[in-house]
Amino acid sequence: MSTAEPAVAPRGSGRLLAAAFAGNRRALVGLGLVAVIAAFCFLGPLLYRTDQVTVQLDLAQLPPSGRYPLGTDASGYDELGRLMQGGQSSLEIGCAVAVVTTVIGTLYGAVAGYVGVIVDAIMMRVIDTFLAIPGIVLLLLLVSMFTPTLRLIVVLLSLLSWLGPARLVRGEVLSLRTREFVQAARMMGGTGGRIVVRHLVPNAAGVIIVSGTFTIADSVLTLSALGYLGLGLPPPHADWGSMLSAGLDYLYDGNWWLVYPAAAILITTVVAFNLIGDALHDALGVRGQSR
Amino acid sequence: MRAYLLRRTGQAVVVVIGVMVVTFALIHLEPGSAARATLGTRATDERIAVFNAANGLNRPLTAQFVSFVKQAAAGNLGTSYSLHQPVSTLIAQRLPRDGVLLGLSTLLALALALPMGIFQAVRRGRAEDHAFTVLSFGLYSIPDFFFGLLLIAIFSVQLHLLPSQAPQAQSIGGILADPRALVLPVLTLALVSMASFSRYVRSSAIITLAQEYIQVARSTGLPERLVLRRHVLRNSLLPVITVLGLSARDIVAGAVIAEAVFNYPGMGQLFFQAATSKDYPILLGSTLVVGVATVIGSLIADIAYSLLDPRIRYVDG
Amino acid sequence: MRVHSTLKAGAIGLALAMIVTACTGGSSGTITNGQSAGASKGPVKRGGTVTIAELGVSPDFIFPLPPATNQNGYNANLTEAMWPYLVYAGDGAQSVVNKDKSLFSTLSYSNGDKRITIQLKPWNWSDGRPITSRDFSFVYNLLKANFSNWNAHLVGLFPEDVAKVSTPDARTVVLDLTKAYNPDFYTDDVLSTIPLLPQHAWDKTSAGGTVGDNDTTTAGAKAVYAYLQKEGAKTTSFSTNPLWKVVDGPWKLSEFRSNGYYSYVPNPAYSGSAKPVVDKVIESPFTTDTPEINALRSGSSLDVATLPLNDIKQAQALSSSGYSIASVPIPGVAAVMPNLYNTAVGALFRQLYIRQALEYLINRPQIVAKIYNGYADPGNGPVPVKATGTWASPLEKAGGPYPYNPATAKSLLQAHGWKVVPGGTTTCVSPGTGASQCGAGITAGQALTFNLLYSSGRTTTDEQNAAIKSSQAQAGITINLRSEPFNTLVSTIGTCTAASHPKSSCGWQLAEFGYDPYPLYPNGTGFFDTGGTNNYGGYSDPTMDKLIQATEYGASASTFTTYEDYAARQLPWLWLPLREGITVYRTKLRGVVPLNPFSSTNTFEDWYYTS
Repeated sequence: MSTAEPAVAPRGSGRLLAAAFAGNRRALVGLGLVAVIAAFCFLGPLLYRTDQVTVQLDLAQLPPSGRYPLGTDASGYDELGRLMQGGQSSLEIGCAVAVVTTVIGTLYGAVAGYVGVIVDAIMMRVIDTFLAIPGIVLLLLLVSMFTPTLRLIVVLLSLLSWLGPARLVRGEVLSLRTREFVQAARMMGGTGGRIVVRHLVPNAAGVIIVSGTFTIADSVLTLSALGYLGLGLPPPHADWGSMLSAGLDYLYDGNWWLVYPAAAILITTVVAFNLIGDALHDALGVRGQSR
Repeated sequence: MRAYLLRRTGQAVVVVIGVMVVTFALIHLEPGSAARATLGTRATDERIAVFNAANGLNRPLTAQFVSFVKQAAAGNLGTSYSLHQPVSTLIAQRLPRDGVLLGLSTLLALALALPMGIFQAVRRGRAEDHAFTVLSFGLYSIPDFFFGLLLIAIFSVQLHLLPSQAPQAQSIGGILADPRALVLPVLTLALVSMASFSRYVRSSAIITLAQEYIQVARSTGLPERLVLRRHVLRNSLLPVITVLGLSARDIVAGAVIAEAVFNYPGMGQLFFQAATSKDYPILLGSTLVVGVATVIGSLIADIAYSLLDPRIRYVDG
Repeated sequence: MRVHSTLKAGAIGLALAMIVTACTGGSSGTITNGQSAGASKGPVKRGGTVTIAELGVSPDFIFPLPPATNQNGYNANLTEAMWPYLVYAGDGAQSVVNKDKSLFSTLSYSNGDKRITIQLKPWNWSDGRPITSRDFSFVYNLLKANFSNWNAHLVGLFPEDVAKVSTPDARTVVLDLTKAYNPDFYTDDVLSTIPLLPQHAWDKTSAGGTVGDNDTTTAGAKAVYAYLQKEGAKTTSFSTNPLWKVVDGPWKLSEFRSNGYYSYVPNPAYSGSAKPVVDKVIESPFTTDTPEINALRSGSSLDVATLPLNDIKQAQALSSSGYSIASVPIPGVAAVMPNLYNTAVGALFRQLYIRQALEYLINRPQIVAKIYNGYADPGNGPVPVKATGTWASPLEKAGGPYPYNPATAKSLLQAHGWKVVPGGTTTCVSPGTGASQCGAGITAGQALTFNLLYSSGRTTTDEQNAAIKSSQAQAGITINLRSEPFNTLVSTIGTCTAASHPKSSCGWQLAEFGYDPYPLYPNGTGFFDTGGTNNYGGYSDPTMDKLIQATEYGASASTFTTYEDYAARQLPWLWLPLREGITVYRTKLRGVVPLNPFSSTNTFEDWYYTS
């Protein structure tokens, strides 16, 4: 999607970025939320230990009490502890997917944008092809091929998400490569690879970071959809989406503690990452993707 | 323009072929066989052989692919293994249903997103802008299955105001004749799309409002309302058009989760059932249709975009 | 959701028969036992439409004799309302033959139980022609030439065991069998799979062909069968093809859509006494149970539906909105099937003590109480104790040979040379074939780690398997869970025997996909006998084969008990609790109770609205 804006983010934009960021209240709220949630998920279990492996049916579906602050679920797991555990999975998967898609997308887009013409045309057709295949079809076909493990889910979600960053980076690189500093680097004998890695990518950093942040948010959501469709990870694994989906089976029984806490933390996390990404986007004046 | 169109059409054909190749490769890479999936656990080796022979599954993959392409070009998308009906009939039955559902929700989303985004742009930085931003992000971040089920729980189960299922009628007329049943599914889909549309509109409107000609228009005494309508609205439509073009794919692919929650037999459920039961003809045929719709959709979007904004020059890609 | 229904003796598909316990006065808010209490009568309001929820897979075949590979149990639901079986299973709540709805007026065994004389009732087809013995011989001829392509076929039984069929007059059929069977077994399990088909309308080989005695030659019978099966698969013409309009049951099909929605209207020419009262019966499809429960709770669209067991607490709310709820035990066996010939772990499963240890570690009573809320058969052995109470042996009724006992499981393993690590991984430290060693084919250091493949979509199954995984870990047995949609599962599971276990279809180790239904006489034919059609894991034992055969021929209860106890102890499959069917129906709809576990179709001709 093109607008008339020129690319920005010259060297040394780090300080500018931090300053713009700090001034943006939404960004601070987003960061704050992410920090609190991450602490809850990763530090929480150190303070509040629960058994998330052994099924104890006698303790199933107990309402919140002193002993179980958020009650227990259908297998007898402490729900509060499970939210922490689930958060670890959801956040780990989200961040892993963001990293993988960013790296792959960036390299792919940079190469396509820099080398140009025929290679670019071919690479972009590949992207168009994958964009035209419904994500659900890809997911379903791939999930049935392998036994789902954490690593596999990361790979699957990455396969669906690398297209966006690739296109954006390519767009950036296309406009950057005509700039003076690139000509200069070429004249000084820089090879293609060096130019891509040392000059183009850092200058496209804005786009990359913004896109990566949004990818985290989207992956957490897509993971929850996978859980609902029954394509997620098997027990005793937990992630917010599967917890929410399982809890919804008991919605009418009044077991609100299985539904609303999981929904709240899931939604808050996704909102927080979106706020951060949005603030980064504004701060960098990045063109292209916006929310 | 003509050269551009030719080039784009050529690209579109390449993409469509690419889609067919990728889908074909993926479904044949899967373990388990279509014969077993269709015939069940009691399939004997001879029966499997008969099935494979009847459906040409024992030929080399390239031969199968070529014959699929030839058939598709002639308009024959094959016959479903499990439903025993021509794939084109199945698609013809289900696609309009998604057209209605997703078409209505996209329209609703736009109708809400345009005013909201422009309003936010005009009031940029103020409390109202922040409030709507939080609202947008909030709506965007709700998993759609949760949202749908919650709406059903409130409006259907608690208040008995609306039906819990989407219209079950066979024909478009029948579906549209049951508007009460359309409310919840359309709302579920629309509110999430609205959230992301409004962000595009907002940022596009912000950019437009900063342009010089807006200042000029205002200084000539043109009422703000007209400024907004004549200039800002039109420019804000540009990103929306791109998004609409991409939404062709979503309409044709259906919405698996919304269809599951509201028991609406559309393309999404067709994909899901076909993928889980290795019904190759449906998978190939439907994916082909989606691929074609996507490239046509984005082509139309690009043309509309260039018509609306002749300042945009077309670089390759 | 997805019930893996295999057609044993062809009679059962969906065994969620309606059990209506409408005691006068009714129990408020609780689930009544659908089998007890007689039907209550009320003022009959003629007409009305009943909408039933159809959960999971929809029918896809309308000719009553589907091909061997078609295991869709819902097809029997579709066809039995239009072409009832010769012997109709289930009368009220009793698991006996229903004399009113069966097509015979008398059925007698003579000549040492080798001759069966059947008198047909003077009923008519919907086109006015009488049902005659020629219709029976038509079915017989078709099956004789094509039984290997009939999904209800039991190897060695009908029609192979028939020496001769004679039709002395238009209403009499005489079957001479090659051997004498237990009459209960033969009537209940074999004759209940045979519908009568209209020879005068269907005995042709093409749409434009002439109806004649084509079935009397083998080639002709094959051609007719092939034609009828071809037509029977065309879902788009189910309600329009003239073939399927000739019925002898109380209903005919008025509409059938590709998504599984179909509806019946009464057959005005039905000759039986239970003539339909309502105008229309609609089967409305749901792919998962969430939209079904939502529709029930919102109150407007469904009249009859099943209640998933994880939603059992909804009973209270539903009963205060005009619904009644009744439970019925399902006659079937639910189990985890081990693949005795899997290359990696088959050797482990072939050891009885390992199967025993696995069974000792399944806490069935807790699963019944907590996951199924008490509404499940305890799963003490192959025969359900509630649904087929007359056949359940004292051993089973007392809890079965393997009650939950983790200590016994551990000591069993230790006694056979395993180092048991609770919560960790148990490994074989003493390989060999001696009495206190691990057993043939088991290597040193081999661990007890298995993959359990099960079908997704049912909450209670997910919870049950998670509980099983957790409790097996007490003895260091690791169960890796993998759930897949039923169709995907089926595409990778095949029959694995000592002789043939190809990798492409025998990579599975443990599989659980629902339950296998029983006909009126729940013996193990087809399940635990060598080469049985549902014996996917390859269990083979000459003693078991002998005992099963004895139940087919012998008539005594003690023969049956001997087989049953042996099977319960032998664990060809790992027994699991089997959930009951919970039916929700509008209180003003009468005739739904008493529910019968055995009718594979809902007997909606008995239903009527009171207001």
